Amino acid sequence: MRIGFLSRFGLCLILFAALLLNAIDSAIAQTYPTKPIRIIVPFAPGGGADILARLLGPKLSDSWGQPVIVDNRAGAGGIVGTEMVAKAPGDGYVLAMGYIGTHAINPSLYPKLSYDPVKDFAAVALVASIPSILVVHPSVPAKSVQELIALAKSKPGELNYGSGGVGTAPHLAGELFNTMAGVKMVHIPYKGSGPALTELLGGHVSLMFNTMIQTIPHVKAGKLRGLAVTCAKRSAAMPELPTIAESGLPGYEMVGWFGILAPAGTPNEIVTRLNTEINKILNMTDVKDRLATLGSEPTGITTPEQFGTFIKAEITKWAKVVKESGMKPE
Amino acid sequence: MEILSHLYLGFGIALTLTNLFYCLVGVVIGTTIGVLPGIGPAATIAMLLPTTFSLPPVTALIMLAGIYYGAMYGGSTTSILVNLPGEAASVVTCLDGYVMARQGRAGPALSIAALGSLFAGCIATAIIVLFGPPLAELALKFGSAEYFSLMVLGLVAAAVLASGSLLKAIAMILLGLLLGMVGTDVGTGVRRFCFEIPELSDGIGFVVIAMGMFGFAEIVSNLGLKEKRQVFTSKVGRLMPSRADLKASWRPVLRGTALGSALGILPGGGAVVSSFASYAVEKRIASDPSRFGKGAIEGVAGPEAANNAAAQTSFIPMLTLGIPANAVIALMLGALMIQGIAPGPRVMIERPELFWGLIASMWVGNLMLVVLNLPLIGIWIRLLTVPYRLLFPAILLFICIGAYSINNNPFDVAMAAGFGLLGYIFSRLACEPAPLLLGYILGPMMEENLRRAMQLSRGNPMVFLTRPISLAMLLTAAFLLLLIIIPAVRAKREETFRE
Amino acid sequence: MSEARMKIKIRGSKDFYAGLLFISFGGLATALSPSYPMGTGARMGPGYFPTVLGGILTLLGILISIRGLLRESSDPFGGLALRPLLSVLGSVLGFAFFVDRLGLVIAIIMLTAVSCLGGSEFRFREVVVFSLVLTVMVVVVFVYGLKLPFKVWPL
Repeated sequence: MRIGFLSRFGLCLILFAALLLNAIDSAIAQTYPTKPIRIIVPFAPGGGADILARLLGPKLSDSWGQPVIVDNRAGAGGIVGTEMVAKAPGDGYVLAMGYIGTHAINPSLYPKLSYDPVKDFAAVALVASIPSILVVHPSVPAKSVQELIALAKSKPGELNYGSGGVGTAPHLAGELFNTMAGVKMVHIPYKGSGPALTELLGGHVSLMFNTMIQTIPHVKAGKLRGLAVTCAKRSAAMPELPTIAESGLPGYEMVGWFGILAPAGTPNEIVTRLNTEINKILNMTDVKDRLATLGSEPTGITTPEQFGTFIKAEITKWAKVVKESGMKPE
Repeated sequence: MEILSHLYLGFGIALTLTNLFYCLVGVVIGTTIGVLPGIGPAATIAMLLPTTFSLPPVTALIMLAGIYYGAMYGGSTTSILVNLPGEAASVVTCLDGYVMARQGRAGPALSIAALGSLFAGCIATAIIVLFGPPLAELALKFGSAEYFSLMVLGLVAAAVLASGSLLKAIAMILLGLLLGMVGTDVGTGVRRFCFEIPELSDGIGFVVIAMGMFGFAEIVSNLGLKEKRQVFTSKVGRLMPSRADLKASWRPVLRGTALGSALGILPGGGAVVSSFASYAVEKRIASDPSRFGKGAIEGVAGPEAANNAAAQTSFIPMLTLGIPANAVIALMLGALMIQGIAPGPRVMIERPELFWGLIASMWVGNLMLVVLNLPLIGIWIRLLTVPYRLLFPAILLFICIGAYSINNNPFDVAMAAGFGLLGYIFSRLACEPAPLLLGYILGPMMEENLRRAMQLSRGNPMVFLTRPISLAMLLTAAFLLLLIIIPAVRAKREETFRE
Repeated sequence: MSEARMKIKIRGSKDFYAGLLFISFGGLATALSPSYPMGTGARMGPGYFPTVLGGILTLLGILISIRGLLRESSDPFGGLALRPLLSVLGSVLGFAFFVDRLGLVIAIIMLTAVSCLGGSEFRFREVVVFSLVLTVMVVVVFVYGLKLPFKVWPL
C-alpha cells in the first residue's frame, strides 16, 4: 500500500518528537536532582516512618549534593500527607514515605479514600520490613500458639488483645489471626503502641502483636512471654521463636513495611535513579546496622516493579482481612 | 551504700566535658523552644535525632533529656510574661504568673518558678534513684479505670481553679471536653465534628487553642481597654523575690514537688494533672483563696514545682521498664533503639552508665537551667517595659509563626484567630479560658479510658468502684467537689438570708 | 472621656449571653453527635460521650442564661471593642492567607501594619520602621537560624 507523502512526513515528525522528548526526558533525569527534594512523612516526628526518612534523607543528600528535606504532615492515620504527594507533580521532587497502613490498609478501611495507592503512585523502593512478635502476659496460661488458639476457642470473646490503634499493623495482625484461627479475640485500641505495651505489662490486656524491637527487652526480662513471630521465616533477632505460620496457621504473614513512593507519572528514569541510590544506601554498613537494630529484615524486594507488585498483593490480602473481620470502615 | 558508688559512677560520666557540653546544648535548646510557641520538644527532638546517631548513647540521652525539661522552664517564662502557655503543664502558671507580671512582679514570679523548679527537679531525681523500680511497678497497676478516675479528679481540680462563677467554669470545662472530641476517634477511626476539613482530623491542637484564647484574646482585650492604663506597670520592680514571697512559697513548693513526683510516674496523663492539682490544693489550703487569680505567688510556686517534678519522674517508667510516659520520651527511646540499645527492665543493670549518667546529668541540667535563666530574668523584665503598642505586634507575630510551625500549615494560624475571637468574647462574658483548656486536654484521655474500661469490664460500670485505686481517686474527687460546693451553697444561703 | 472608638453595645447581662453561647455549643454537639455510631454501654461508640456532654452543657447553658436574666442590672455586658478585634484578628488571618502565597516578608509587614491600626496610636513612620525591623529579626532568627521552612519571598 502506498503511504502518502503527508502521512510519511507526519510519521517522521512523530518519531522525531518522540526521540526528542525521550532525549529531554533522559536529560532531565540525568541532571536530576537540580533542586531540593522533599520526603513527606505522613506522621508526627518520632514514629517509624519518620526515623527511617531521617536515616535516608541525609544519605541521599550526601550522594546527590542536593538537600533532602523531611517534611512531617501528620493527620488522619497518614491520609493527609499521603494525599498531598498523590496530588503533587510527578517531577521527582516530592516523595512519600509510605507504609503498610497508608498504602495497603487504608484503601480497605476508608471506602472514600482521597487517593488510590496504586493509580496515584509510582512505587520506588522498599526501605524496611519490620515483623512483629506475638506476646502474652505471663498470667495467660498459654505457652504456644496452639495453646493460645485452644484457650481462645474455649473462652470466646474473653481474651483481649491490644494495639496502637484501629487500622494499625498490630490490629490487622490480630484480626488476621482471628480469621485464620477461627477465634474471636477482642480488640482493644490504644493511642499508639507505647500505651498498649504499658497496659499489657500491667496485665490489663492479655496479649499483643507488637514490633519486635519494642517488645524483645521485656521478653528477655521475663515480663512478657513471646509465643511466635509474624513473619514468614524465623527472625534473626529471636531465632528460638517459631513463626505463627509454622505453629498451626500456615500462610500467616504480617510485616510492617515502609517504602518510598513518588506521584504517578514520575518519569521512569527518575524512579530508577532513586531506586538505585536508595538500594545503595540500604546496603551501606552503618545503615544496615541501624535497620537491623530497628528490627528490619531483608525482603529481597529491590526493584520498583517488585515493590509495586508487592503493594498490590498487600492491598488484596488486607482487603480480605478487613472484610472478614467485619472491621467497620469509616 | 551501693547507691553512693553508683552515683559516683554517674557523676563521673555526667561531669565529663563532652557530656557537660551536650547537657548545656540540650537545656539551652530546650529553654528556647519552650519560650517559642508552637515548636515543642517533640518536634525539636525529632529534628535532632540524626545528630544523635553519631553521639555515644549516654550523651545523646543527656542532651535530649535536657531539651525536655529545659522546655518546661521556657514554657513557664512565656506563661508569666505574655500569658502564653508553652504546653499543657504551664497553663496554670498563666493564672497568677501573668497577673503578677502585670503588677510589676514578673521578677519574683520568674525567680520563684525557676528556684521552685530547681528544688523540685532535684528532689524528684532523688526519688528516681531511691524509689524508681517499686514506683514503676505501682504505675503499672494503673489501668483504664484508674486513669479515668484520675481524669475525673483532674477535672474537679480544674473547676476549683476558677475564680469566678463555678457554673460557668463547669460549662467551660464541658466545652473544652467537647472541643477535645473534634478529630478522629481512637477506638473506631470515625471522624467527629470535622466538617470535611482534613486538618481537623487529628484534632484542633492544644497550641492553637492556647495561642488563640490566651494569646490573641489577651491582646485584643488589652487593646480594647477603655482606660489608658498601662498593660504592664512601668515600675519594673525587683528581680528577686522578697522575704515575704519566699516565706509564702516554700510550702507550696514542697507540696507541689510531692504531688508532681507522685503523678509524674503515671504514663500518659499524670504529669499534666499535677500542675493543676497543685494549684487547686494551694487554693483550697490558702487562708485567703480569693487572692488566687490576682497574683498569688503560691499559684506559681506550687504548680511550677509540680510540673518540673513530674517531668523528672516521668522518666521512671522509661528507665526502669522501657515504657515511654509520653510522646517526647518515646522519641528518646527511638533514639536509643537506633543506637542499638533496647531500653527495658534490664537497662539499669546491663548498662548502668546510661542510667546513672542520665540521673546525674539531670541534677547538673537543672542547675544549669537556673544559672541560665536567673540572669535572663533581668532581660525579660526590661522587655516588658517596651511600650505596649510596639510589644503587641511582636507578640502577635511570635504567635503566628509558632502556630504556623506546628504543621507548616496556615490553617492552624487561621484557627488560632478563630479561637482568639471566641476567647475574647468569653473574656467579655466573664468566662475563664483556663478551665476550657484543661477540659480540652483531659477530655480525650478521659473518654478513651472510660470507653476502654467499659470494654474491658464488658459493660460493667461498677468497675470504677470495685478497683481500689480507682475508688480512692473518685472519693478524693468527690471530697474536693464537696469542698467547693459547701462554701458556695453557704454563701448563697447567707445572701438570700440577708435579703 | 473615651476616644471615638467603635464598640458594639448590647443590652443584657454577661451571664445571659454566656448562657446562650453554651446552649448553642451544647445544642450543636447534641444535634451532631447521634449521627456517629452510638454503640452500647459496653462498647461506647464515638457518638455516646459527646451526646451526653452536649446535653449537660445545654442544660448548664439554660441555667446560666436564666441566672443572667435575673441579674440583668447588676452585671451588664459591656460590648466588644471592634477596632482592636478586627485589626488584630484581621491581621492574623491576613498573615495566614499570605504567608504561603506571597512569602514571609510581605506577611510580616502586612501583619504589623494592620495590627497597629488596632492600637491607640498609629504613627506611620514608626510603624514602617518597626515592621521592617521585625521582618529582619524574624527572618534571621526563624528562617536562617532555626531553619523553619518558610517561603520568604513572593517568588
